[in-house]
Amino acid sequence: MIIVENLHKTFPTTDNHVLRGISCHITAGEKIVVVGPSGSGKSTFLRCLNLLEQPSEGKIWFDGTEITDPQTDVNHVRTRMGMVFQQFNLFNNLTVIANIMLAPVKLKIMSKSEAEANAMKLLERVDLLDKRDSYPSQLSGGQKQRIAIVRTLAMNPQVILFDEPTSSLDPEMVGEVLEVMKDLAESGMTMVVVTHEMGFAREVGTRIMFMDEGKIVEENPPSSFFGNPESVRLQEFLSKVL
Amino acid sequence: MQEWFESVAASFERAFITGDRWKIYLAGLGITVEVSFFAAILGLLIGTLLAFMKMSVGKDGRRTPWSIIANIYIDIIRGTPVVLQLLIMYFIVFTFSRNAVMIAIITFGINSGAYVAEIVRAGVLAVDKGQTEAGRSLGLSQAQTMLYIVIPQAVKNILPPMGNEFIILLKETAIVGYVGLTDLTRAANQVSSRTYEPFMPLIGAAIIYFSMIKVLTILLGKLERKLRASDNR
Repeated sequence: MIIVENLHKTFPTTDNHVLRGISCHITAGEKIVVVGPSGSGKSTFLRCLNLLEQPSEGKIWFDGTEITDPQTDVNHVRTRMGMVFQQFNLFNNLTVIANIMLAPVKLKIMSKSEAEANAMKLLERVDLLDKRDSYPSQLSGGQKQRIAIVRTLAMNPQVILFDEPTSSLDPEMVGEVLEVMKDLAESGMTMVVVTHEMGFAREVGTRIMFMDEGKIVEENPPSSFFGNPESVRLQEFLSKVL
Repeated sequence: MQEWFESVAASFERAFITGDRWKIYLAGLGITVEVSFFAAILGLLIGTLLAFMKMSVGKDGRRTPWSIIANIYIDIIRGTPVVLQLLIMYFIVFTFSRNAVMIAIITFGINSGAYVAEIVRAGVLAVDKGQTEAGRSLGLSQAQTMLYIVIPQAVKNILPPMGNEFIILLKETAIVGYVGLTDLTRAANQVSSRTYEPFMPLIGAAIIYFSMIKVLTILLGKLERKLRASDNR
């Protein structure tokens, strides 16, 4: 579903070479978990996948389309590729239901009534139906992130990218968000998750990538990733985080 | 005491009543309000346009020609006195027209636009980048993200300094006497040079300016509180 070929990213202002040749192949239904020390390029890699960051070099295909081709309609690609952010990024000026309905309605994917019905169904799924008319400022971090996931789901994406979705949550709220993500994984959604939650990686991931210094150092299913790490750097990393 | 009171009343009469002098102030006030009001609208339009020109970024992340033009405009306007701009407009640019009101509106509109541009730009940039990223990640275009997400939030940031700008504009129009217009300030000055009693006309005009701005401040404060309400509902 997603093919990445020799991806490089250098930030021109700082001349920081963050990604140094990433290649990978993600097939439908996979749950990829990307782990690694901070500064290893995990988030940049994820943000390149939906072109929130423009790759400096390399190619990305999504569903047979080369999205790094300047001719590709990026907005259209993004409608099928959801993203959940560390800082939730709910639209502060809109109520919960308006947050969820905005993109499907404005992009003419659904009529207003369809979008509303769909939003209600999704809100029920994450048990937040009573928050439909609340503003983001009235929600807890965990609630915000669950709404953010729902907002992404409202577009019926083929894949969802999660950029450290639990990193800015209070510890007692991490569980409720991971629960929604597990649910989503079980429903067959293709997911790429950057996270520090090793328990989630082990339980939900079908393949785990370890990134360090802008490269994928090692990638394996969880059993061998955690049980039998090959590279020294991964062994060191795991000894620190587990 | 009574004598003093009578002399004040007499001087008030000479300043405002005799020969229907209040009509001079009223006409002057009309010019002040007319120039300020239309200049504010023009400034808002020009300023918003300039702000988005200045914020435009090319595909390669470089500044666009639009951005450079906007920068030059803002630089020049902010770098020269508005009195001089008015004189240049009246005596050099618009020599074919003697419609001083129109020239004053254009001059103050162009001048205010430069300041409004920076206000709008600061207000838009103050909206968290994550809001834009979230909008774009859902497939909304740059324009849709601006329109539905960023601008509604930016308005709240923009309103207080914008009110300030309108207040400054209203007072700055007091220089239109330079191109022969009789605004409130000049009206007061004319009366005082006729009665040789500057106190009443000048203090009177000051009170009128002050009252207008006080009302404007109260209205803006109300609007601001209304908009802020969505922050902690």
